[in-house]
Amino acid sequence: MLGLDQHEVGAVAVARLLRDAGMEVIYLGRFNLPPGIVKTAGDENGDVIGLSCHSWEYLHYIDELLALLRQQGLSIPVVVGGSVLTAGDERLLRDKGVAATFGPTSSVEDIPAAIRAVVMDARRP
Amino acid sequence: MSRRSTRSGIPLKPVYRPEDVAALGYDEALGDPGVFPYTRGRRPPDHAAAAWIQRELSGEGAPSQSNAQLKYLIETGATGLDVIGDTPTMAYLDPDHPAAAHAVGTQGVSLCCLDDYRELYHDLPLDGLTVSHSLPPLFGIAGFYLAARERGIDPARLRGSIVQPPFYCEDCGYATHMPFPLRLRMTADSIEFASREMPRFHAFLEDTYYISDGGLDVVEEMALGFVEIRYVVRELLRRGLLVDSFAPRIAILVNCGMDFFEEIAKIRATRRLYARMMREEFGARDPRSLAVNIASHTSGLSLTAQQPVNNIVRGTAQALALALAGVQGIEISGFDEAFRTPSPESHLVGLRTQQVIQLETNVSSVTDPLGGSYYVEALTAEMERRIQEMVARVEDMGDPAALCDRGWFRTLFQDAMERHARQVRDGTKPQVGVNVHRMPAHEDTLLRALAERKIEPSRERVERIRAFKRSRDSRRLRATLEQVSRAARDTTQNLMPSIIAATEVGATMGEVAWVLRAAYGVPGDPFGMMESPL
Repeated sequence: MLGLDQHEVGAVAVARLLRDAGMEVIYLGRFNLPPGIVKTAGDENGDVIGLSCHSWEYLHYIDELLALLRQQGLSIPVVVGGSVLTAGDERLLRDKGVAATFGPTSSVEDIPAAIRAVVMDARRP
Repeated sequence: MSRRSTRSGIPLKPVYRPEDVAALGYDEALGDPGVFPYTRGRRPPDHAAAAWIQRELSGEGAPSQSNAQLKYLIETGATGLDVIGDTPTMAYLDPDHPAAAHAVGTQGVSLCCLDDYRELYHDLPLDGLTVSHSLPPLFGIAGFYLAARERGIDPARLRGSIVQPPFYCEDCGYATHMPFPLRLRMTADSIEFASREMPRFHAFLEDTYYISDGGLDVVEEMALGFVEIRYVVRELLRRGLLVDSFAPRIAILVNCGMDFFEEIAKIRATRRLYARMMREEFGARDPRSLAVNIASHTSGLSLTAQQPVNNIVRGTAQALALALAGVQGIEISGFDEAFRTPSPESHLVGLRTQQVIQLETNVSSVTDPLGGSYYVEALTAEMERRIQEMVARVEDMGDPAALCDRGWFRTLFQDAMERHARQVRDGTKPQVGVNVHRMPAHEDTLLRALAERKIEPSRERVERIRAFKRSRDSRRLRATLEQVSRAARDTTQNLMPSIIAATEVGATMGEVAWVLRAAYGVPGDPFGMMESPL
């Protein structure tokens, strides 16, 4: 989770969903800022960074996060999900370079498959 | 959930009959409204004819912006207010904290110093309506007290409440980054102060809403609420306070989900359990100590981002349940809760929903209209039994404070979130628009435009607080913060007088919290980004 927002239900639910789908999930909990997220993703050799957004803070942090990844030469795709994402937000995030977005109407069946596709895509030379 | 059980899993019969309530004697188990054990209501029927307090949870932007919002709500017919801080405020961080930058004022009002409280309450009839506070207790009370006193309003006339969350705040959305002994002390000190200085104010609001809206069922919700109430009451008694000096000002803010009769039974069972506990275990004698004040905020978790107009229907069903249960105050979650901080439109609909129920349906003319229903009484009794059993089970595991530190409650909350997600996924918890009666996204447009209207973080406010901090008399400020530090290290002292003194010379909440955390041996700034104010 990013920033000071503490609405955790969605993050916990998606973490469980992905574990149930056979993925390894490192859940960072609440109160994360971009430098910490990028550092953990690098240290843990993560395949994908997933951000849970239930406040509007992500709109202001996403550029910093993507820039940090680029600066450190990490080509880890970023996906963003959360109840506050609107169709307009999803377009904006993809334009910035976010690999996939999951708004409130995303179906639970689609999320693991979409994340797998993003990871496969990033691994392609 | 099979169709024949409540959402918390209580098995249900297809129909209830006299034998299901045969063991319940009227006087022992029910009593008239206003009579022990208060199952049927807190007040005698004459009083109950008065409507519940109608309010909406609010707060956004700078304090002046929230002041305008509060005035709008009063003009729209709100008969009480409930103010919530933004995420930095709830975490005891000032708006100029680097981690707060993008969150100032977006999910509540930004409050950190006395000027803020002056602006928030400006021109409001503070002695004429109740002001509930979802704010850090020491500071919310100090701000309300000082702002009223300056305007010549006797703090003894102030009504309203403030949330006291010492047990579960770290796990459920109001994290303070403070150790348990400090959180408990802030609660007990502020209750002790208010019971003397603000005797009409409910300084001990047990909030079971925010702990349960991650997915706890109603039995878990109330059991955890009772565990916290009992612990704080014991702490106040240990300090030598008489139970009847503070118990009349304990109130509970409960959640209200979609299982209609289960929520009603929960509230009726809570009144009975509470009355018996207060009389039999804590020796309370004042009837006001036995008849607990219950208000409710309807469940945000029950609302959906899909087909948001359905949320208006959900809020109506929930508010109707609360009216039938006989609560003292209702706030309906905004129909846009699933995707944004409440819009003015959702506040309006919330108040209008309450007004329609109160004025047009005639449901509140008769007190406890469901009393005596075979089903409601049987469910109330079963609810009481299950809540009591869980409280005993938790307390038998040892000191609840130790359970809190060990993360036992955290596990319970996480399990509940996962359980909720699983039940929505597999359809055992039906949610129209989510797992049944779905609609393609391109057709789901009604009320959708509200989601695109966002609240920008208040950058001007950050600048303003920075300038304010530079403008203060640093010598006096330092002296009062040192006083707070000394008081914090001496557990025989009440923290309130030194915090009030510091607030009066311009100390901010973030600075005082820094000093308190340091006195209790934890980092003054949980993010390690701010210097010591001392």
